[in-house]
Amino acid sequence: MLHPFRALTKISSRKQRLLAGVALAILAVSIAGLVGLQTRAQNAGLAPLATDGPASARPWVRYTGWPTRDTSKFNSLTAIVSPPSPTAPRKLVRELAGDPAAGQKLVADRSRGGSCLACHVMGSAGGADLPGNVGPDLSEIGNAGRDDEWLFNYVNDARVYNPETVMPPWGTHGIFSEAEIGDIVAFLKTLKSLARFKTALDDPFKRPAPIERRDNLDSMINPAMWLVEERAPALWKATGPSGQSCASCHSAPAQSLRTWAASMPKWEPRLNKALGVEEFVTRHAKATTGQSWLMQSEENTALSTYLRYLANGAAIAPDTESAQAKAAYKRGEALSARKIGALNFSCADCHGADKSASKWIRGQWLGELRGQLDHFPTWRTSQQSVWDIRKRFQWCQVAIWADDLPPDAPEYGDLELYLAAQNAGRRLSVPGIRH
Amino acid sequence: MAERPRIRLPKQANKGEVVEIKTLLAHLMESGQRKDSAGKIVPRKIINRFACAFNGKPVFECELEPAIAANPYLQFSVKVEESGVFTFNWTDDDGTVTTAEERITVV
Repeated sequence: MLHPFRALTKISSRKQRLLAGVALAILAVSIAGLVGLQTRAQNAGLAPLATDGPASARPWVRYTGWPTRDTSKFNSLTAIVSPPSPTAPRKLVRELAGDPAAGQKLVADRSRGGSCLACHVMGSAGGADLPGNVGPDLSEIGNAGRDDEWLFNYVNDARVYNPETVMPPWGTHGIFSEAEIGDIVAFLKTLKSLARFKTALDDPFKRPAPIERRDNLDSMINPAMWLVEERAPALWKATGPSGQSCASCHSAPAQSLRTWAASMPKWEPRLNKALGVEEFVTRHAKATTGQSWLMQSEENTALSTYLRYLANGAAIAPDTESAQAKAAYKRGEALSARKIGALNFSCADCHGADKSASKWIRGQWLGELRGQLDHFPTWRTSQQSVWDIRKRFQWCQVAIWADDLPPDAPEYGDLELYLAAQNAGRRLSVPGIRH
Repeated sequence: MAERPRIRLPKQANKGEVVEIKTLLAHLMESGQRKDSAGKIVPRKIINRFACAFNGKPVFECELEPAIAANPYLQFSVKVEESGVFTFNWTDDDGTVTTAEERITVV
């Protein structure tokens, strides 16, 4: 099932000559010959990489326990296939005869895209239990004098009134039927008094922003530290099929790699994509030690966490200056604004400072893009596992009912480069710890 | 579990000093109340007992219950009168006992 790499990067004759020179210098100072490999790579500016084949399992299979609903008829980061937005509000030919009691159930139904309450306070609906505040408080919408047609169209597809809206097109995307939207409209018209919250924490407009205070670098607190303290150093010394280990070339990684991970992701001309730490580990290890440490394997996550840990304190500083990196950044920026999935969200819809960032989606805080990278890979207490940034990307997509991509997808490389640029200057603190 | 237990205590203490000991063992602490994707109960498998002794004499013991979260972390205090060795035992539902020891010098 794992796709084997077939070829290693060829070393040009110029580089071989360079290597010979370096090797002589090394003999002169009696340093172990293997160090020459590292020197060669550094002098040539190009680390050996296996460039054939994917860096993650094929076919890519979504993680066990993740939703498996078919979202192939909606936009993803690789396809534009969602149904088009209507051009004008729908005219209602007859009065809606919705059932407000049915509507009350629908607005709290979390199997339908998270429920209306995820974004709106709606009076007593759902017991006023942890609603969000991405959208306006609708507790008094029944007093607002909105007619059925306006309410129907707003729920059906709000883009007919506001092209900038972040509200999912519930009707156009088939998440609620016309009859159900009628029920929701009937319920909305009954909303005439402010929500009464059981506690201040239930009110999203008063709920304080969460602050992570746990010491993420204490192994008594963060189990991801065990990867850094034990697993990764053992893998570093493990001899691969080629007879080499990471330590063969990188004998003192704490010194030689103390900023490297902060420069990632990086545009890689040999692969024509931006490589993050994880994909680099897969391809570099294959080319040097012969290890098959595919992305999302336990070994890859341990080493990627370790490499970023070694760069703790270094400021995130990806190259976005070269022409190709600039183009990748532009593509990443465009991808971050692309509306995808049945819920039709872009990255910017939830994490843009001018959109929904620093608001609550149900009980979850939507952070700005700046601040979303320096702690990855991070321990997730709710998952009891370490997630790298690619897995986080994948979950964002699955959570908004969109198709995810394999972790080595070039689109993720572009997106990660864009995200890293938004986080430039922030200092790594890895592994992080989050809910 | 492959992870070694984590223990923190001072290497040195004064006679009669109360020292703080922190212990943590990597363990899933499967409660026996969850169901797998086929709807079957996942069998309970927890650390059900922890014991710490100093120079062979028990100084702290407790029973752990299914509601305790993964990677049980225990912190307790011990008054030390002499140099010696703390031994730690974690007993799994399957009978496995994980052990560790730490030395302390009393000056």
